[in-house]
Amino acid sequence: MGDPQPTPPHPPTASPRALTRRSFLRASAVFGGGLAALAAALAPLRHLDDFPTLDQFLQKYYRELTPAEMERILRRIEAEVEREYGVRPQVRDVKPLTGVEYVYAHNLTRCIGCRRCVHACVAENNLSRTPEVQYIRVLRLPHGSLDMEKADHNYAPEWVPEPDHFYMPVQCQQCRNPPCVKVCPVHATWQETDGLTVIDYDWCIGCRYCAAACPYWARHFNFTRPSIPKGQLNPDMAYLGNRPRRQGVMEKCHFCIQRTRVGRYPACLEVCPTGARKFGNILDPESEVSYILKHKRVFIQLKEELGTSPRFYYYFDV
Amino acid sequence: MNPEPRTSQALNALTVAFLALTLAFLLDLWGRPLALTEIPPVDPQFTNTATVRLSIADQIAAGADPSDWDCYICHDRKKPPQLRFDENQNLLIPEEHEDIQLHHGSHNRNNNCFNCHNENNLDLLQTRDGRELKLAESTPLCGSCHGPTYRDWEAGAHGRANGHWHDSFGPRLRQACVACHDPHAPAFPQQKVGPGPYPLRPVDIPTAHPQPPH
Amino acid sequence: MNRAIRNYLVFLGRCSRIAFAGDWRYYAWMGVLTVFCLLGLNAYAKQFVHGLLVTGMTDEVSWGVYIANFTFLVGVAAAAVMMVIPVYIYNNEELHDLVIFGELLAVAAILMCLAFVTVDLGRPDRFWHLIPGIGQFNFPASMLSWDVIVLNGYLLLNIHICGYLLYCRYQGRKPAKWFYIPFVFIAIVWAVSIHTVTAFLYVGLGGRPFWNSAIVGPRFLASAFTAGPALIILALQVIRRVTAYRITDKALLTLRSIVQVSMLINVFLLINEVFKEFYSGNLHVASSKYLYVGLHGYHALVPWIWTAIAFNVIAMVLLLLPLSRSLRWLNLTCVLCIVGIWIEKGMGLVIPGFIPTPLGEMIEYTPTLNETLICFGIWAFGLLCYTIFLRMSVPILLGTLSQANEGRD
Repeated sequence: MGDPQPTPPHPPTASPRALTRRSFLRASAVFGGGLAALAAALAPLRHLDDFPTLDQFLQKYYRELTPAEMERILRRIEAEVEREYGVRPQVRDVKPLTGVEYVYAHNLTRCIGCRRCVHACVAENNLSRTPEVQYIRVLRLPHGSLDMEKADHNYAPEWVPEPDHFYMPVQCQQCRNPPCVKVCPVHATWQETDGLTVIDYDWCIGCRYCAAACPYWARHFNFTRPSIPKGQLNPDMAYLGNRPRRQGVMEKCHFCIQRTRVGRYPACLEVCPTGARKFGNILDPESEVSYILKHKRVFIQLKEELGTSPRFYYYFDV
Repeated sequence: MNPEPRTSQALNALTVAFLALTLAFLLDLWGRPLALTEIPPVDPQFTNTATVRLSIADQIAAGADPSDWDCYICHDRKKPPQLRFDENQNLLIPEEHEDIQLHHGSHNRNNNCFNCHNENNLDLLQTRDGRELKLAESTPLCGSCHGPTYRDWEAGAHGRANGHWHDSFGPRLRQACVACHDPHAPAFPQQKVGPGPYPLRPVDIPTAHPQPPH
Repeated sequence: MNRAIRNYLVFLGRCSRIAFAGDWRYYAWMGVLTVFCLLGLNAYAKQFVHGLLVTGMTDEVSWGVYIANFTFLVGVAAAAVMMVIPVYIYNNEELHDLVIFGELLAVAAILMCLAFVTVDLGRPDRFWHLIPGIGQFNFPASMLSWDVIVLNGYLLLNIHICGYLLYCRYQGRKPAKWFYIPFVFIAIVWAVSIHTVTAFLYVGLGGRPFWNSAIVGPRFLASAFTAGPALIILALQVIRRVTAYRITDKALLTLRSIVQVSMLINVFLLINEVFKEFYSGNLHVASSKYLYVGLHGYHALVPWIWTAIAFNVIAMVLLLLPLSRSLRWLNLTCVLCIVGIWIEKGMGLVIPGFIPTPLGEMIEYTPTLNETLICFGIWAFGLLCYTIFLRMSVPILLGTLSQANEGRD
């Protein structure tokens, strides 16, 4: 790297012109070659078909949008979805209900591990089919152990339940102290007043710190553009819920915000053939979940020792 | 050695390297994205919200022929049917009812048809304390024995529900016991299992989990 | 005033011109680095289009070599302080000018860190959401927001200190103490903070028992103060060979003793960690088992971590022997330190934290070719920056590039 005396770019030499011209040509060749290689290196960008429009690029943070801005964005999203999927959806911004805090209760005695909840969720929430994104993972555990390391995720008998096993579906636990919210550097995920931790898919930068922080493996990343077959799109959509996601952002279970905030049961509950899934408002003493937490002797919060205090309870019929 | 020719050589080599790179980039020689394995669509049975069986009430509501449940087409109103048992006190189910598998309770505790059916009026059900119920309204009958479960069911903690999580938003459809349980063999039937997860990339599993025998 | 601005612009102009001038070795070296930069840029263009699908990462292992390299390089950047402390606190004159080389390395390392974080983002187009004021900055809750502040702050501090000292030297005047000494002391504290904050990034995650250990912070510092000065020793050896700049053996040996002590502490802390994990034998040992001996038949990282441990231990022994006072052995030792710690702290720390997943699933991780090319590209970019910095600063320190000889090139 150089001698004590910096070599000038065009060293003045005894034999004058020819050499200078040659070195100039040589420098140009290197420079030109470099430019060509630079252009070619960037050539893959020509396949970029999902580049954000100016509107998308400058879109503000969910919690700073005025109702008018929100309205405009919702209509724009509807148009975008219609262009891509050929279906005109209805995208709403459903707000939390006052006096409501959602709680899920899951009956481990009843669950048979049939994975219907997994697939109903995929259909309801417009999850990518290829590659596969699923909010619910059902674990098959041997009787007597909650040690996740003994869990089998890929069990595939023809019929369930199988003897000597029990099944535990795990999805977003809607923690009261969510580690994912704490770690997000841009506030792209937060907890709403009804207890649901939601994501602004248009604000997430895709750093995946929340995925590292989540003790329940509930947060899922779009490693590429999600794909949903035309005709399988659920057109009833919410901004913070099941509207189609884009490449490079996080998503996770939101207790079917587009359904539950208008009073309906979540999709995973309605499809459950055994009625193992229970959902409702914990602030209402008459609700099903209040009854369960009051009367069932044994119920657990998964990984309680972490202090996340999930709103998803597992219980047994005792 | 005079550094000048070396510099020229270095620059020439660099030019060649740049041009080679240009070519390689344009031909897209490496780093193509992984071809995703197409995941087969999920059978609609796994997203069907129907109950696992159709109760008589459901079948009547669906417009089924009610004569199927008219017992006195065969039976005689004046003569209550006689039950027959083998030497182990197992009920001998008559040929005409061979579609019935009786597995309700262990130790033959519940092997008497007339624990639930009214022997004097077969079109009706009856509780042990003599209350008479229509065939399509069997839930209180189940509850007459299964107290804690009935209590949970009433509170919404047992059994299926569809619709709304609070009445103020709309109806909540509660399912009767017999929508899921066959009263003659009430254990919940085994179900087909839905497809498991597909990893993002093919993975090799060194110790494949043994498939449990079924 | 105008004159001052003109002088500064001339300084910048001459510095950038000199970056394009050198002997054939300089061109060859810069050419090789440029080729790697282009390879990396091309790979990144592909990732930009197709998403992180072109990497080996998955939902199961959601951080890979990008974050591993990031973690390692934050350590390298922090280690620049290990030359500053002796100079300004203990008045070690031998290292005086060398501090600038160390701090320039810190600048290059931080640039690489920022590049590694950027390529790891799923939506790089939304980086502006991170800018305080116009974006939404989750400070102080998110450790990543702390990292953004401390890394950029450290970058600015070092640019200021190096830039000011070099410009003063260029002008041939004595630097005003009040204009850089306070910043030097801030930088010392700041250097410790960048690596501590980066450790806290992992330590704060209760759901990942492998990282959720108080010793990670001290281990980070110990390993940084091993690998960083080792890298500086190698850089100084190169400077000594290819430029006229005189670097004394004594300076290198001072750095050697820093590496020596740090490596001892590093190995000691490693033993502490391994003991606690394996002796108590609770369920949280799974990730450590996967890393050191393999778990349920999966053992992709086992050869790596034992290579790292072997390198670290050999380096430690070499550092303790008088043998490594010979500069050739010192070079070898430094290489062993750097490679050993790169594996231990990069792949050996980041990847096993994800395996098994919080739900007990075993999915391994292997970087793809595209991902590896991006890493090479960023390293080449960092080395390119560092080479240019040295190409500019060595003549200034030698006095061959100064305001006095303006207009003579």
